[in-house]
Amino acid sequence: MATLLQPEKVLYLVRGEKKIRVPLSQLYFCRYCSELRSLECVSHEVDSHFCPSCLENMPSAEAKLKKNRCANCFDCPCCMHTLSTRATNIPAPLPDDPTKTTMKKAYYLACGFCRWTSRDVGMADKSVASGGWQEPENPHTQRINKLIEYYQQLAQREKLERDRKKLARRRPFMPQAFSVNIHTTEKYGLGTRLQRQRSGAPIIALYGLSLKEGEDQKEITIESAQALDEVEPLPEDYYTRPVNLPEVTTLRQRLLQPDFQPAGASQLHPRHKHLLMKRSLRCRKCEHNLSKPEFNPTSIKFKIQLVAVSYIPEVRIMSIPNLRHLKESQVLLTLTNPVENITHVSLYTCEEGDPDDINSTAKVLVPSKELVLAGKDAAAEYDELAEPQGFQDDPDVVAFRKSNKIGFFIKVIPQREEGDVTVAFKLRHDFRNLAAPIRPTEEGEATSEAIWLTHHVELSLGPLAT
Amino acid sequence: MPLFEGLGSGGEKTAVVVDLGAAYTKCGFAGETGPRFIIPSEIKRAGSPEAVRVVQYNINTEELYSILKEFVHLLYFRHLLVNPRDRRVVIVESVLCPSHFRETLSRVFFKHFEVPSVLFAPSHLMSVMTLGIQSALVMDCGYTETLVLPESLERVPILSAWEALPMGGKAIHRDLQRGMKIQEARFNLDGSAERPAPPPDVEYPLDGQKILHVKGAIRDSVAEMLFEQDNEEKSIATLLLDTLVKCPIDTRKVLSENLVIIGGTSMLPGFLHRLLSEIRSLVEKPKYRDALATKSFRIHSPPAKPNCTAWLGGAIFGALQDILGSRSVSRDYYSETGRIPDWCCLSTPLPDSVYEAGKMPPPLMKRAFSTEK
Repeated sequence: MATLLQPEKVLYLVRGEKKIRVPLSQLYFCRYCSELRSLECVSHEVDSHFCPSCLENMPSAEAKLKKNRCANCFDCPCCMHTLSTRATNIPAPLPDDPTKTTMKKAYYLACGFCRWTSRDVGMADKSVASGGWQEPENPHTQRINKLIEYYQQLAQREKLERDRKKLARRRPFMPQAFSVNIHTTEKYGLGTRLQRQRSGAPIIALYGLSLKEGEDQKEITIESAQALDEVEPLPEDYYTRPVNLPEVTTLRQRLLQPDFQPAGASQLHPRHKHLLMKRSLRCRKCEHNLSKPEFNPTSIKFKIQLVAVSYIPEVRIMSIPNLRHLKESQVLLTLTNPVENITHVSLYTCEEGDPDDINSTAKVLVPSKELVLAGKDAAAEYDELAEPQGFQDDPDVVAFRKSNKIGFFIKVIPQREEGDVTVAFKLRHDFRNLAAPIRPTEEGEATSEAIWLTHHVELSLGPLAT
Repeated sequence: MPLFEGLGSGGEKTAVVVDLGAAYTKCGFAGETGPRFIIPSEIKRAGSPEAVRVVQYNINTEELYSILKEFVHLLYFRHLLVNPRDRRVVIVESVLCPSHFRETLSRVFFKHFEVPSVLFAPSHLMSVMTLGIQSALVMDCGYTETLVLPESLERVPILSAWEALPMGGKAIHRDLQRGMKIQEARFNLDGSAERPAPPPDVEYPLDGQKILHVKGAIRDSVAEMLFEQDNEEKSIATLLLDTLVKCPIDTRKVLSENLVIIGGTSMLPGFLHRLLSEIRSLVEKPKYRDALATKSFRIHSPPAKPNCTAWLGGAIFGALQDILGSRSVSRDYYSETGRIPDWCCLSTPLPDSVYEAGKMPPPLMKRAFSTEK
């Protein structure tokens, strides 16, 4: 996807289980762990369900009951577009007076894209606009439910037997090795060796549990399935009948209805629309939420939004001159401060043998002085008269300064003759954690402590100039 | 169904049942009558125009791990819409699934999605569960291969009697691609009946611009390769008979009268009938006539479509909450040992052992009241 900002040129390194290099706009920042997190190192959770066509929120209990499908919206079985309800007037006799006829509304479903209608499969028109359409039921439901009951009974029996085995009275002459037995241990006071062996044995209280053997259980038996001797052969006219392609369903259409999988298009019934869900993200280490969306499906805001662009200064490439092999050139970068207080940023080149530095194909010289960024002031955006900010800037290092952004130069010396030029450096800045302190601060300690974070940044500057 | 089922009114949430096939994946919840979704087992990556197959056995672990992770992520958050951490997982798989694939899949489930437990259920065994019978001979005609495995008495698979043939939907696809160029097809009937006149040709529109002409002769001869005997005289039909020969003699009659055919390739119209006739004609051949005394073959029709039968068995098993927990591999066990139990590997300790898990070896036979330390 092409964007004006080309964020893939600037990558930040995330130190999770695997080292991932991702643009800052796709990262999250856990301010409790003070680390960057990517989508791979957070756990995703389902937050809320909603229907994509009517945008109606559905509580999770109802979603479970309706099998994650909307009650009102339908999908076209042919093209999977959303169906719309259309109305026609049909003459119908009045209930009181059979001779006179009056116009009544009849509703049917129609697809605006492929022109499929519910009349094509023989579904009768309904007299109510919504709620009249039913999905057909699976003919095997009863048999399957009976099978489940039967197996549940077997499973219960197995569980009882297993519990009983654990508490069974052991016959004295059986080798002790193969049964877990507390009763005899207690009774005969056997050596401590046995008791040591059974450090994880079930507690004594369980022995008092009497199994309900006399319980009246209804025996559920099912008839086993009957095998057939003969199966239906291929119909004779398969060899002679020309194939009516519009009538044959495609595999995709068939598989959308796993219970029926009809081969003919005249049996394709519409299904309720499947819901979508909103996701919330959670840091795996500290279990805090990093992103929690709003409950309302129509709202795109977040209740909790700990994205990296609002905490970490962002580096962007502004202009790249012609890069030549082994010749030093100046690249203009910008650094933006997302927080409201003044941030001090210093850059370091990667040392020799740095394990993170695997992609760089050029040497880079970064400004050695510390760069100071002004805080982000929302009101200053609208203030046209930019007041001088009173920062003394070295004109060799800082090209321009504008509210919370500065432009600065780095020197790049490409080391390879061919291929793209990639440079990497470390960005160190101070971060003030505004989360509520655990201990009440002492008197006189007004501001929260600043911690210094270091990130590894990689820039891809494009090919060498020919 | 009560409105608040599974919401804390006793009992845990329903398990997730997944059947990862080579061509299609069936996913849904335990206790239901059919899978929620049948989706192709592939993922779309930003780099390549073609979709990447999920079930691949020959790629290295890292690549497989990331592909499986993406696919399972899609399953949970696009199709099932549930939290992975809350529900147990039942994976219906083939017994011949390579251990490397199983281990990577379980690592994806346990390490990345943090599911509470995973159960690997053999697909043939699960299909028998949908019928309520004790023994059956199950043939799975899938995409990459056809695998036959008998289950007998108390639903124990007779593992030594398995037979497999790499003939499935994939072979038909390959042949179709070749067959478009080959106009004539070979027939291998034993000269009994004449070959009937080929069915009419079909013009199949592709993409709205191109039209694919499918000759009638190809339509009926391409599926023939499943029944054609190759150089080892093996075809799908002989697989069944060979399995019967390998089974113990007392079980053969029961097994031959309880055939179950599952798998997507078996949903071709007329497949079952053709299979039965092939078996019946092959059993007269000298090779089998002396070995097999039984001549009656009967086929079951499970309460689901053949491509969902194994899934349905897994769903029925997953609904048995009493024993699902004890038979699954829990996350604690996995983090302790780092491996999942495999039927071909004897070195993994049992999950729920009568003895302490792995801490002390099983005590030797000792006399009672021994005071030895």
